[in-house]
Amino acid sequence: MKENILEIKDLVVHYETDEGCVRAVNNVSFSIGKKTILGLVGETGAGKTTTALSILNLVPNPPGVIKNGSIILNGVDVLTLPENKLQEVRGKDVAMIFQDPMTALNPVMTIGEQIAESIMLHGEKDKEKALARAKEMLEHVGIAASRSGDYPHQLSGGMRQRVVIAIALACNPRLLIADEPTTALDVTIQAQILELIKELNRKFDTSMLLITHDLGVVAEVCDEVAVMYAGRIVEWGTADEVFNHTLHPYTEGLFNSLPNLRKRGEDLVPIKGMMPDPMNLPEGCAFAPRCPYAVPQCEKEVPELIKRGTHLVACRAYEDGNFKLRRNSNG
Amino acid sequence: MDNKEKDILLEVRDLKKYFDTPKGKLHAVDGVTFTVERGKTLGIVGESGCGKSTTGRCILKLIEPTSGKIIYNGEDITNYSSRKMRKLRTEMQMIFQDPFSSLDPRQTVMQAICEPIYEHKLIRGKKEVEKRALELMETVGLAPRLINTYPHELDGGRRQRIGIARALALNPKLVICDEPVSALDVSIQAQILNLMKQLQKELGLTYVFITHDLSVVKYFSDEIAVMYLGQLVEKAPSDELFERPLHPYTQKLLSAIPLPIVGKKKPERSLIKGEITSPVNLPDECRFNKRCDFRSEVCLKGNPQLQEISPNHFVACSRVHELM
Repeated sequence: MKENILEIKDLVVHYETDEGCVRAVNNVSFSIGKKTILGLVGETGAGKTTTALSILNLVPNPPGVIKNGSIILNGVDVLTLPENKLQEVRGKDVAMIFQDPMTALNPVMTIGEQIAESIMLHGEKDKEKALARAKEMLEHVGIAASRSGDYPHQLSGGMRQRVVIAIALACNPRLLIADEPTTALDVTIQAQILELIKELNRKFDTSMLLITHDLGVVAEVCDEVAVMYAGRIVEWGTADEVFNHTLHPYTEGLFNSLPNLRKRGEDLVPIKGMMPDPMNLPEGCAFAPRCPYAVPQCEKEVPELIKRGTHLVACRAYEDGNFKLRRNSNG
Repeated sequence: MDNKEKDILLEVRDLKKYFDTPKGKLHAVDGVTFTVERGKTLGIVGESGCGKSTTGRCILKLIEPTSGKIIYNGEDITNYSSRKMRKLRTEMQMIFQDPFSSLDPRQTVMQAICEPIYEHKLIRGKKEVEKRALELMETVGLAPRLINTYPHELDGGRRQRIGIARALALNPKLVICDEPVSALDVSIQAQILNLMKQLQKELGLTYVFITHDLSVVKYFSDEIAVMYLGQLVEKAPSDELFERPLHPYTQKLLSAIPLPIVGKKKPERSLIKGEITSPVNLPDECRFNKRCDFRSEVCLKGNPQLQEISPNHFVACSRVHELM
């Protein structure tokens, strides 16, 4: 059994709005081991970002309410910590990088100062030392230390994201949460940043939660993959298991929707319909109305995650021992 | 192949669009030439700032090109007045990336789809127009019960369907699609791509498909043009381009696509170094040379033009013959 940096158990998060209760995260449990990169995959509104914000206890309240669950980070339940202790955890034990690097940076502060600021917030008293460490961090992310006096607007999108990564890693966090870190970048720059993330993961022994909707990005960097749908984890396994031995019909649907680089001209196979409104989730499996394998019982009860070795899936079809997805039967 | 043999709907010849900036001339589009056959799709790919959207807008004359020619259906429309263009716009339509900002938040679905029909007085009479709007909604897969909903009540996929219905309302022949599915989730993206493909078959549409997403463009296009800093660096039929990319930039671009494959059969990636250079005051040399692994002295002697390497496969690289 390897040591876990993060353990989330039975997390439930609701947004209580005037129009009704948005059930964003419904009973999510997963863990991340040391040095592991876990990819959290799903479409808009699946609850990925809300899950991530919960780890930092940053779910906007109101309207967000963490209804249930525990989040053990480095042995401490962050949901029970008082605000002043949380401030210490954020940045030091867990750091987060966001999709848009421009809005994450302060436009009137040099990039060196911004990295140094986060170092000083977490213990360093000497400004000179903090700035020196900031320059070191810039070199780590592939920016010349001589540019530490630049302002964010002087940098390109890719370089800004590098600065954000430098800030996040400056205090050597045990866990780095990256929410769509390359979505706003061009494909060639994305490739550079993904390479950097992999390299830093090895160099700093940081565990990582990578949130993305892009299965290509997941295949590129993740050790494990958790697939989220309508606020639940529907499949969780190693990258090899999820990509090459897919179990959940939704995951299969995602793969089928991708334009295939090798076959051209064929019709794509989209998942029919849309994700259910989180204000109005169906009683049973949330994917059942769109699922080509659904049987009447799927609509009655929410399926639990069941184990098949290290590979977990929440689908009742597997109660029939012979059930197989089409993707797997064609080899 | 000779152009006369083909049924060309759109021809763009040496199109240039410069913008004056405080730092100098910004070469957004710098000598782009291509043709699109009727009923076919040309994909234009490239990274942010390469000039692909500006090219699309110049074709529709939403912005005035600095020089060059745009020939639509055999007619040179480069110097058409805005009144003449207005008539032509019924035949040339555009689908935009963000279906939220391209729709009026105070218009219902019905009003949004009827607007272009009223505007161009294509059909008279409220009843007739609304009948046509309902037909269009059916064509793009919008349920009739949605006629009185507003854009904010709908998800991205449905909003993009409204965008497509509006573009189709005028029975266009040519549709310029500027990143039409980039803002959508993959499962919805697949629905919209299938719809666009089906409409092309049924209505004989010609598409210019502008995108940064290479897997989408390969799926969708008959021919692909790769743009870098305002110029085409390679142009070839889709399969040919993906199987035999010849320009060093195209090779790097294809290699950068993160493939959804784990384990076996995964090709080695080669990263491109540096970032796109500024399009302001460009020197007369290969625009890619600073990031190119194969740079040599010849690359600094003049800006290479597109040359036909094999039938229909064009490359702008001074060293292409050595590198093949």
